[in-house]
Amino acid sequence: MSLLTIEGLFAHFGGVAAVDNVSFDLRQGEILGLIGPNGSGKTTVLNLLSGFLTPDAGQVRMRDENITGMSADRLAQRGVLRMFQMTRVFTRMSAFDNLLTAGMARGLSESESTRRAHALIEELTLEPVQYLNAGQLSGGQRKLLEFGMCFIEPPLIAMLDEPFAAVHPVMRDVMAKFIRARHAQGFTFLLVSHDMPIIVDLCQRAVCMNAGRVIAAGEIRSVLQNHDVIEAYLGDSETHSGQDHPPALEVH
Amino acid sequence: MLAFDLLANGLIYGCFYALMAIGLAMIFGVLKIVNFAHGEFFMIGAYTYVLVALKLGVSPWLALPCAAVSGALLGWLVERLLMRPMYQGYASWGFMKDEYAVVVTFGLSLLLINLVDKIVGPYSFRGPPLIDVSRFALGPIMLTGQKAIAAVVSVLLMIGLALFIKRSVWGKQIQAVAQNRLGASLAGIDATRTTSLIFMISGMLAALSGALLAPLVNPSPDIGAFPAVKSYVIVVLGGMGSIWGAMLAALILGVSEAFFSVYISYDYRDAFGLIILVVVLLFRPQGLFGEKGREL
Amino acid sequence: MKPIHNLWQERLRFDMRAALVIIALIGLLPAVVYGPYALGIILVSVYFAILALGWNLLAGYTGQFSLAPAAFAMIGAYTTALLDHYWQVPLALGIPAAIVVTALFGLMLGKLVLNLSGPYLSLTTLAFAEIARVVIGNSHEFTRGDQGMHVATLTDNRLAYYYIFLFALVVVLACIYWLLKGKLGRFMMAVRDDPVGAESRGINVVRIKMIAFCISCSICGLAGSLYGTFSQLVSPELGLLQQTGLILSMVVIGGMGSLSGAILGGVLIYLGSEWLRGFGDIQMIVFALLVIVFARYIPGGLWGMVAARLQGRRS
Repeated sequence: MSLLTIEGLFAHFGGVAAVDNVSFDLRQGEILGLIGPNGSGKTTVLNLLSGFLTPDAGQVRMRDENITGMSADRLAQRGVLRMFQMTRVFTRMSAFDNLLTAGMARGLSESESTRRAHALIEELTLEPVQYLNAGQLSGGQRKLLEFGMCFIEPPLIAMLDEPFAAVHPVMRDVMAKFIRARHAQGFTFLLVSHDMPIIVDLCQRAVCMNAGRVIAAGEIRSVLQNHDVIEAYLGDSETHSGQDHPPALEVH
Repeated sequence: MLAFDLLANGLIYGCFYALMAIGLAMIFGVLKIVNFAHGEFFMIGAYTYVLVALKLGVSPWLALPCAAVSGALLGWLVERLLMRPMYQGYASWGFMKDEYAVVVTFGLSLLLINLVDKIVGPYSFRGPPLIDVSRFALGPIMLTGQKAIAAVVSVLLMIGLALFIKRSVWGKQIQAVAQNRLGASLAGIDATRTTSLIFMISGMLAALSGALLAPLVNPSPDIGAFPAVKSYVIVVLGGMGSIWGAMLAALILGVSEAFFSVYISYDYRDAFGLIILVVVLLFRPQGLFGEKGREL
Repeated sequence: MKPIHNLWQERLRFDMRAALVIIALIGLLPAVVYGPYALGIILVSVYFAILALGWNLLAGYTGQFSLAPAAFAMIGAYTTALLDHYWQVPLALGIPAAIVVTALFGLMLGKLVLNLSGPYLSLTTLAFAEIARVVIGNSHEFTRGDQGMHVATLTDNRLAYYYIFLFALVVVLACIYWLLKGKLGRFMMAVRDDPVGAESRGINVVRIKMIAFCISCSICGLAGSLYGTFSQLVSPELGLLQQTGLILSMVVIGGMGSLSGAILGGVLIYLGSEWLRGFGDIQMIVFALLVIVFARYIPGGLWGMVAARLQGRRS
């Protein structure tokens, strides 16, 4: 069932169409990968969907509600949450307080937030640093903390922007485990990433963008074997002539 | 003809303002901060010029470079001691970069004003003019010798700066660091040294503008407020970080202030610039030539 | 002893208790000072403590670095003065009127700078403050310009006035604490740390900023209004940028983002400045140096240095 329907999104920056007639849908309970080479407009689409940018045209509907151009905080209240590529935590509060604040921001009482924060700290293996200021945490710990802040109150849709970029492989596994666990509970994810193995591992469907447009959408395997997709990633490079799909995009 | 005279005077003042404001535009371009002590560089330059010329009995023409040196030195010190922590990642900050910059430069401004007030005295000085011609006519406009020379020197300095930035190796490094600090340092440019250079140039130009205007404004310790406010307006109007924008905005401000003060209100002429600043920040925060910033 | 953790609620509660102790000590000061001049000095230090609390709420907690607190004190003072002068409005109404007027101007300013941050915000508030000061100073027909206006007074008894100010300080502190201890305090700190992140977690950043501006500016207006009635004179000098510089120094040195820090900073800096006056007028130099040193090396201020140790935890 379609949870989020995106129709005909347009966004222009100074004459350049960063997002050009983008339409796709996000189904309940799936992990959808949003892929594409650098500059294809993935992050812009994410910004449009998470309330940080207003589209010039187009519509975004969540179930029956029109949420186009809604501000980020109102979207968050409706369960649309987002993680950032450059991790955003509240650096001058303790990690524990970060979770508390995120919970209370979603409308939970302080006691309920406290209870859930304790559980999350344990699940994310952040006990040793829970009382340190978030600014003192390592990059990977901050990413985990940001995860926790998104999930302290179950989001309807979690949008993750390059969550695995520059992350230690061990941390990456913890995060992947976290995502899979939540997915098994029925959560819906939109995952923007460059990390192909992880995309293949976690996503069932994918949407591929290039130069602001959607060039392929559907089951993950068919998208990755799509000729246009391969060409988008490699450009006009001659290295792929004569092959159907180069090793980088090989699907195991 | 009054309008023509106003235009000419406005342009001349615009040149002075441009000299004052360019340093601020450069600092903002590189560090994205406003130096709230900028007016005090002007003041220090004015005082150096006046004191060197009067107390040491040196020719005013020699006092000018002394002012330039004092400005450059001060700029270097400020960068070295106060600004470096912002980008050299000193550990566990209680302040974010923006807050730190505001507090520290504001504190610096207070410090310099009160130091000068204490050491030299609170009364204003008469700055010796560079040339003794008091009034002469240039076509239909009346000028004083000092004004004319100051305008010419200002223009020459700005041309010199433009050439420096466009042509010299250092100038190109400045452009690179202003656009992308990380990228520039990855490309092998010493971003810290370049920033230091920018502060020195900024200080030098502000100090020189103080020295050139000293005979016209009679410096006192709090004289820095007026060039500071003008510079803020100009940098915002021109687009934070855009040097060409600052130059153009300075001329616009000079001319429109001249007309405003005569045709609308003399008393509120200082508020005029401030109102422009507020209006620009509200409706077109990127100014005339700046870029719209995008985070995320 | 129960281990103290680095938790917001605990820090706030500790801060509040310490602030009350400090106020109690301040309340005892009249017993050790002699003469109306000295009494006037400690009274003005309480005035600055109130201003510091007000500005700290906006800058230290919500991260909005306004350079207009002195201007709002001036606006508050002039509101009461103008009402008294032209319509003989009694102070019982004139002082609350000052609170309302500055709250409204504060909301206006907050709306103005809603989408601005960092230097843009500071510059706009600075422009606002200077415009207000120039307008008041130049409106000779209404405000007698630089000469200032005469204001009625609550009482001629200086000691009583001291305790009026102290009472105002306690009320302001209580209001701020009540605001902070719920969700609002956390959300303000979140907005200070990361407005974008705060919004994406569901915090209505616009509302938080507006509340902060409204309350902070009205606190400054209250202080200014009271001060005007005390000195029986209001002048545009109340709104000088130098006064804002003093308030900034007090909060930075005392400790941004803490109640005790603001009060301590206000009182100590002002008393210190009077004490240093005897050494040849170097107080501003000393404080400017202290501000720079603290900003550079001791961002937590005096309170930051002391609190961690007192609470028994390592910072």
